[in-house]
Amino acid sequence: MDIVVCIKRVPETAEAEIKVDSSGKDILKERLTFDINESDNYALEEAILLKEKRGGTVTLISVGPPECEDTIRMGLAKGADQAIRVSNEGFGELDGFATAEILKNTIQDLSYDLILTGCMATDDGYSQVGPTLAELLGIPHAVLVTKVDLQDGNARVERELEGGLLEALEIKLPALFAIQTGINEPRYASLIAIRRAAAKEIKVLNAQAIGLERPTLRTRVENLFPPPVGKRAEILKGGAEETSKRLAQIYKSKGII
Amino acid sequence: MMETSTTPIWELRDIIIEAGATDIYKCYQCGKCASVCPWYQTEAVNFPTYKFPLAAQLGRIASSEGKEELAREVEEVYRCVGCEACVEQCPQGVNIPNTLRAVRRILVDYGSYPDTLKPVVSKIHNVGNPLGEPGEKRRDWAKDLAIPLFQPGMEYLYFPGCFPAYDPRLRKVATSTAKVLKKAGVSFGILGEKEWCCGEAIRRAGAEKIFQEAAQSNISAFRNAGVKKVVVTSPHCYTTFKNEYPLLGADFEVFHITQLFYQLIEEGKLKPHQLSQLPELGEPNDSKSQRAKDPIKVVYHDPCTLGRQNGIYEEPRGVLKNIPGLELLEIGDFSHQFALCCGGGSGGLWLDWPKGERMADIRVQQAIETGAKVLAVACPYCLQMFEDSVKTMNLGLKVMDIAELLAESL
Ligand code: SF4
Ligand code: SF4
Repeated sequence: MDIVVCIKRVPETAEAEIKVDSSGKDILKERLTFDINESDNYALEEAILLKEKRGGTVTLISVGPPECEDTIRMGLAKGADQAIRVSNEGFGELDGFATAEILKNTIQDLSYDLILTGCMATDDGYSQVGPTLAELLGIPHAVLVTKVDLQDGNARVERELEGGLLEALEIKLPALFAIQTGINEPRYASLIAIRRAAAKEIKVLNAQAIGLERPTLRTRVENLFPPPVGKRAEILKGGAEETSKRLAQIYKSKGII
Repeated sequence: MMETSTTPIWELRDIIIEAGATDIYKCYQCGKCASVCPWYQTEAVNFPTYKFPLAAQLGRIASSEGKEELAREVEEVYRCVGCEACVEQCPQGVNIPNTLRAVRRILVDYGSYPDTLKPVVSKIHNVGNPLGEPGEKRRDWAKDLAIPLFQPGMEYLYFPGCFPAYDPRLRKVATSTAKVLKKAGVSFGILGEKEWCCGEAIRRAGAEKIFQEAAQSNISAFRNAGVKKVVVTSPHCYTTFKNEYPLLGADFEVFHITQLFYQLIEEGKLKPHQLSQLPELGEPNDSKSQRAKDPIKVVYHDPCTLGRQNGIYEEPRGVLKNIPGLELLEIGDFSHQFALCCGGGSGGLWLDWPKGERMADIRVQQAIETGAKVLAVACPYCLQMFEDSVKTMNLGLKVMDIAELLAESL
């Protein structure tokens, strides 16, 4: 079972103070820490669990600048066998489709049975790369996957639907699954694996090597801005007692309690 | 765990030593460290400290291949709260928290450390405090007190530290401190927005790079402001300013607030009045004269970082003894250098161990057994850990910082 896992290095923004930079199209990142995208971490863990059960290899792919190699090495330390970084140099701005195109060109020359991605990147929130990549490669896919069971040539997966429903699918391999967070419990890397990972080679490919000079850019970021405060929003002021009283009044007036 | 294999991994030993575990070969396995380690007091945890130096010699810490085993090992590496009870007792001068910190550094570099600590490190890098609050609000606690920003010519910089600056409960410690200093006529100012987390906790959690960044930010802020003397609320700021920043180029004197309080009392600049009751205590309905006669029983907890690690035992007690109407109690066998840790150090504050694995639960029980109504502390971490325990255990014990008690008596 040869598995390719696509991972992304993202800034930790969930609890951070975010400021838009002078271009108005990106955020200031110098005061942010970076880590593997949350759902990609679950995808990586799922790949390693599958490898532990069925043998085979796990290959990591990440598109980005040299700093991505920190994230890639963390993945190698957790048990991936090999890794490729596709340098983003010269590609300029990338949207979900363009990233999927780059990944397609990289992966099409590899032998694989399964591709795992996270279901959404926490920075741009596009959720596009997984499904688009599957379409470009002409393989079936499932998103928001919460369970993967492999049989010969097939996979049984469960995926999340709205309203708390799960959908069970049988999918022919090779296939791509975009993994939902919580599917497993990501592991730590041991010191010895960290040591080994530090010595592993990360293959670096550029546009020429993957035969794609210009990925097709179909969306362009025009502007990033904090949402204007909505008219219906009311900011409660005062101490805990005052604000909780007011909150209770509002709840009552809306029939919530 | 480490028992699973003892085949040495020499290259791991080498990187652990390189990361700072320099004294592991001094250990002769006597086990004395385990007898004083606070984990020894908890029911649910087996934490044999003495195995770490040997395990490090063999390169066998956090090196299991199995996922579950490794998770247990990493958890173990993160149990040490850096209380240094073991360091004080070790006949060979081995520093176990240092050994484990070396391992943590390697783990942190690879993002292979507990998830609960990651946002703490990120927030300190992002906004300079573990609460993730904006820098502009760092001065808010002092708003109503008109505390000036530090100016050259002022004697002290008062450095409240992160929790007393932001946390609604801990702010009372900072405001009480400022009130006391004003009353004594001390010349002091604050840095406000330019103050950054001291970085002590995350350094002990293994995040060396972000610690270095925090330290440099403070060192240059102090230098630019012309600060010569710093007085701090937290023993954690104290120890890192006093013992670690000088190695990074800092050049200022540092005092713990209890040292300054005691000095001010000795000099006659502070004259505490009779403390007949504490509004927070919910005293029984006895007559005023009765209340005045009965002293308020206060037991003092030595913060590890202030006592064991910096030898400051007497000044905090001196302050309490000088407040008329207080009766100072001790926790028998567990005071001074034998004080039991609150569990909040070296990242412990954020690790949230389950019931049965909390040192603070044991400590507040010890405090209440003395008959004390108030548990006096001199550290923001201790205060938080103990208040949590008092709440979850529903105990009739009030946890107060010495600054709060002193302010109450002026
Ligand atoms: S007390 Fe010191 S010498 Fe004895 S086992 Fe512990 S670390 Fe080793
Ligand atoms: S520093 Fe404290 S918690 Fe850590 S091993 Fe020593 S005694 Fe135990």
